[in-house]
Formats: sequence, C-alpha cells, structure tokens
Amino acid sequence: MKKYFYSDGVNKHGPYSINELRTKKITRETKVWFQGLNDWRPAGTIPELSSLFSFEPPPIPDPEVHFEPTQNFSNQKPPKTWLVESILVTLFCCLPFGIAGIVNASKVESRFYAGDIDAAHRASAEAKKWTMVSLWVGIGVGVLYFFAAFFGALSGF
Amino acid sequence: MDSKKVYKWLGVFFLFTTLVVVFKTFNPLENNLFPKCPLMVTTGLQCPGCGSQRAIHYLLNFDLLNALKENAILVLSIPYVITGFTFDLIKDPNANTLKWRKRLFGQKAIIIILVIIISFWIFRNIV
Repeated sequence: MKKYFYSDGVNKHGPYSINELRTKKITRETKVWFQGLNDWRPAGTIPELSSLFSFEPPPIPDPEVHFEPTQNFSNQKPPKTWLVESILVTLFCCLPFGIAGIVNASKVESRFYAGDIDAAHRASAEAKKWTMVSLWVGIGVGVLYFFAAFFGALSGF
Repeated sequence: MDSKKVYKWLGVFFLFTTLVVVFKTFNPLENNLFPKCPLMVTTGLQCPGCGSQRAIHYLLNFDLLNALKENAILVLSIPYVITGFTFDLIKDPNANTLKWRKRLFGQKAIIIILVIIISFWIFRNIV
C-alpha cells in the first residue's frame, strides 16, 4: 500500500495510507509527499488524492491574476501614448516639450510590453502632461503675439 | 451630448476655421502677424518646426512644392499623423490591427521618429 506524508507547514506527518489521510484535515493546498516525488506538492495537484476533498469546493479564482506581468499583452491595446500629438507640438510650437512627449510615448510602449501596466499608465499621464503644457504654451504665445502685433500696428510700428 | 461639450466643440471649430482662413490668406513671410520661432530669433538656428506656418500657408493654397521647401518633415508627417489618430479611435482592436499599430507606432517606430526629427534638425542647419 502506498504511504503518504503531509506537512502542516512546520512538521511532517506520516506515513499514512490514503484511508488514514481521510481522517486528517487535508486541503487542496496541503503539501504532500510520497516516494517517487522529487518535492512536496499541493495535494490538489495529485489526481489519486482528489477523493480526499471531493466535498470541498475548488478554490475561487483570484481576480488579480489577469494583471500579473507573466501574461501576454500582445493581444491588448496599450494606454494612449500621445505620440502623434507630441509630434504635432514638436513641429508647431514647443520643441523641448514635444520631445519630452515623444520620449514618454516610447516609455509607454516599452513598459506596456514588458508587462508593467502601472508604469505604462504613469508614462501615458506624463506624455499627456507635456503635450498639454506645450499646447497651452503655444496658444498663450500665439495670443500674446497676436495682440502685440495688433496694438503694434495701431500705434504705428 | 450636454451643452458644455457643444460649446467646447463649437469653440474648437470656430478657432480652427479662423486659423485656416488666416493661414490661407496671409503669407507668414510677408506679415508680422505670426509668431516667430524663439530659437530662430535668439540663436539664428532653425528648429525642426521652423517653416511650419509657411508650409501650412502653401498647403492651404495647394502649393505642395513650396510647402515641402519650407518644412518637408511637416508635409511628410501628415499621412502618418492621420493614420495615428485613426488607430487611436479604434476602441476594440483585433489582433491584426494591434500588430500594425505596434509596427507603425510601437517603440521601434518612436525611436526612428526621434532619430528622423533630430537628423532633420541638424541637416537643415548645415546645408
């Protein structure tokens, strides 16, 4: 008869036959070992032990699992990079701010495909900030210039 | 759509139309109505954006050749910018769309754009 050991996390218990194991509080997460295994494994992963907890419901899936970095993101859309807006402000108004926007757009892409979604969103917010800064600086300078030219023309310059 | 949004878009539309009319009618070369590039004024160097206003003026008058002479990178970026905005508008892209988005607007593309802009900047000042 096959004999099993189980561990409560501190001590190991056993050896027990599968019928003796039924009287212990074995859950799917309890680490078990028997001869032939290289390492302790959760009881839930061993098919022959499945009868031990047939009345115990399977674990509830962790909702966080969808955001783990190990996931493949190539089938999802990255956050907005503000790339085209940054190019436009580079060409129309404010070179330094536009370049800052483009650099942050690049960061959005690299962080996203590396799986660091939070960092990608931060870079996206940063890119948006620089795009907006240059947009308003551009509008401000344009308006100031227009009034300067207008009143300059009136006063005879 | 609430009334605040309507006013916002009316404002944007009005501003845009005014700008189009002003840029089409007046040549920035012959008028001092248009702001000058601060880098040009202070150092005499042209930045990658210098000539954009003149280029827009020529484009609005369908003079592609002169627009290219004033700021080639602006004229050449127009199809790219329109494509970029279109990709941004797609809400639920499929795998193929994402593949092309990554090719055209991914990290490699962004680095190439930076290199193009900076090369253009250097090139236009030494030629």
